[in-house]
Amino acid sequence: MKLTQKLSILITAGAVLATTVACGGGNDAGGDGATGTITFTWWGGDDRAVKYKEAIALFEAANPDIKVKTSFTDFPNYWTARSTEAAGRALPDVMQMDLSYLREYAENDHLADLSGLSDIDTSGFDEGQLNAGKVDEKLLGLSAGTNTFALFVNPAVVEKAGVEPLAEDYTWEDWNAWILDVQKAGAEQKGQPITATADYRGTLWIFIQWLVQKGVDPYTADGKIAFTQDHIKEFLALGDGPNQAKAFSSANRITQLKPKSPFLVSEQASELNWDNFTATYVTDMDTEIQLLPPPSGADGTKGMFWKPSMLLSVANNSERKVAAAKLTDFLLTDPEVGKIFGNSRGVPSNTAQREAVVSEEGSPDALTTAYEEAMTEHVTAETPVPIKGFGTLEATWLRLAEDLSYGKISNDEFVEQWWAEAEMATL
Amino acid sequence: MSVLEKPAAPAAAAPPQPPKRWKRHEVIAGYGFLTPWLIGFFGLTAVPMLASLYLSFTRYNLFGAPEWIGLDNYLLLFEDPQFRQAAKVTLMYAVIGTPLKLAAALAIAMLLNSKRRGQGFYRSVFYAPSLIGASVSIAIVWRALFIDDGIVDRIGSGVGLDWGGWIGNPSLVMPMFVLLTTWQFGAPMVIFLAGLKQVPNELYEAAAVDGAGRWRKFVSITLPMLSPVIFFNLLLEAIHSFQIFSSAFIISNGTGAPAGSSLFYTLYLYLRGFQDFRMGYASAMAWVLVLVVGALTFVMFKTSNAWVHYGGDER
Repeated sequence: MKLTQKLSILITAGAVLATTVACGGGNDAGGDGATGTITFTWWGGDDRAVKYKEAIALFEAANPDIKVKTSFTDFPNYWTARSTEAAGRALPDVMQMDLSYLREYAENDHLADLSGLSDIDTSGFDEGQLNAGKVDEKLLGLSAGTNTFALFVNPAVVEKAGVEPLAEDYTWEDWNAWILDVQKAGAEQKGQPITATADYRGTLWIFIQWLVQKGVDPYTADGKIAFTQDHIKEFLALGDGPNQAKAFSSANRITQLKPKSPFLVSEQASELNWDNFTATYVTDMDTEIQLLPPPSGADGTKGMFWKPSMLLSVANNSERKVAAAKLTDFLLTDPEVGKIFGNSRGVPSNTAQREAVVSEEGSPDALTTAYEEAMTEHVTAETPVPIKGFGTLEATWLRLAEDLSYGKISNDEFVEQWWAEAEMATL
Repeated sequence: MSVLEKPAAPAAAAPPQPPKRWKRHEVIAGYGFLTPWLIGFFGLTAVPMLASLYLSFTRYNLFGAPEWIGLDNYLLLFEDPQFRQAAKVTLMYAVIGTPLKLAAALAIAMLLNSKRRGQGFYRSVFYAPSLIGASVSIAIVWRALFIDDGIVDRIGSGVGLDWGGWIGNPSLVMPMFVLLTTWQFGAPMVIFLAGLKQVPNELYEAAAVDGAGRWRKFVSITLPMLSPVIFFNLLLEAIHSFQIFSSAFIISNGTGAPAGSSLFYTLYLYLRGFQDFRMGYASAMAWVLVLVVGALTFVMFKTSNAWVHYGGDER
């Protein structure tokens, strides 16, 4: 199959689109793979690049025999490049990995079992985070930091709208009522109506959070979907009220503002998102931000879980696994590196790094740390590790939700079309 | 897939007889000089196309080996609501955009054909948009023009059209793309201009003597004399319009938003291949596109006998 795989790289590069196929560099021979040049790649912006650069300088100073060649890109393009590399068995030695794609790359042994690499010290990680990076008992990704859902609230906008702030123990029904209240208040920001939130049904993870809160396991142990079409229908119906009243931020406005969002330009009072967005929001908006937990279920439980915000993985095609393991270990357990990143990769999963984070009072890092400490009592569920094809399922969900907001499809059509895609993607 | 880039040249003369048998070293030298092209043709076009034909009959996600599933990909296409949406959007774009673009190109070519001072300057200026038109930067500018509170929105509000930005409005997205393509009339315009220069002036003079007005001259002389060029442009632009990708990708942030109104065929193909990792399905889509464009070209050639007039024809 080697030939067909090579041919398919040619197609993907030459015929479908002129996509750059990054070369899997580092071919200079080097003994047991403990020295030489290794490649490392991540997704993220300039800010992250600066931090990694600093961290890698420290690593190279401590390991003069190892050189690290780096590259980075944004999230969608990251996966395009990685998948073509996977087809050619030319993945970078060390790479940032996302939970949504872990199972895809686990297939056909693209990732190395990190528990077999003695240079990686997993003692500073808690059981739950280690388990989240495991597929079939193999540790394929090591968690860099943790995330959990938070409702970001912009108090200035809430005040402008003139509604009561939400109480911490609010339920989904309370939230819906609040959304309608904000709309009724009729306030405006630079000529645009102020809304309470975007349609929260558009994010697959929020649906998963809602399921977990109800006590429904989203996936079976062997990686299949365990929820039913009726669950999706029930979740979609939850947002029918505000949607029919056009109380959510309009799909039109959201499309226009991309890559920003109504929340970022202070046209929206709240946004349910992962808590590592704190830094982005605080930096870009230059205003005070509050973090509330996600809405509670009918019985008052939040049923939250820690999700690895990102993981690091080592490629199985790496010829320098020892050096790669050293880098992975350094980036995820070294306290100095922890200081450099703060909470920008999520609150560090590794104890030493978490303790090394020094944050000024009122800084984004301090906000996130305080939030996660406060949420510990609400975190009662195991991380639901996404199934194979989750990236596709997420994208399809988002697209159908957009059609739903534009009124192009009904709830039932949403369920029908998503289910058809899900059956195909999880084959 | 790269679809028929160059249709046959309108009038090919009979090839001249080779003077004598080629000497062996001449043949070798000939192929030697051809090597770079041959490598490109086989390495980047022929072999990948054949491989994609094979892949279109498989399930292939880049991670594992392709798995033969026969015609399943092709059959799935017809049940896929997004495929129908993509086909609809692309056809609409081709059917509306191509004639408008050609009309604009012809109109401007005729204006630029009249002799006046600074002719060369005007020609360059009007050609300029096509030089940059397909680029990423123009797509970004276009997005900025048509966004909420962008220039188009402001002008619209000024004359009482309170439509808001076009970018987020599914029914205004197609007109926006049609405007973008129409504005890039430069390439067909230059070809039209060359064609107009070929029309003998005596014909217009004779028609003027017979009392023909401008419209009459246009319909009875310009259009028929220009018909081979019109045909050539039509063919080229129609094929081009099926391949629209980068502007749609940029303007919709690579999603075909809003609500699939800019989900052009190649963009959907890309999403299937690189977002969903369904390379087999994407390959099948590519081959359907090749077949459709091929069929369309065939039909155009067949009907061209009825309306394309080549100089020297006995009609």
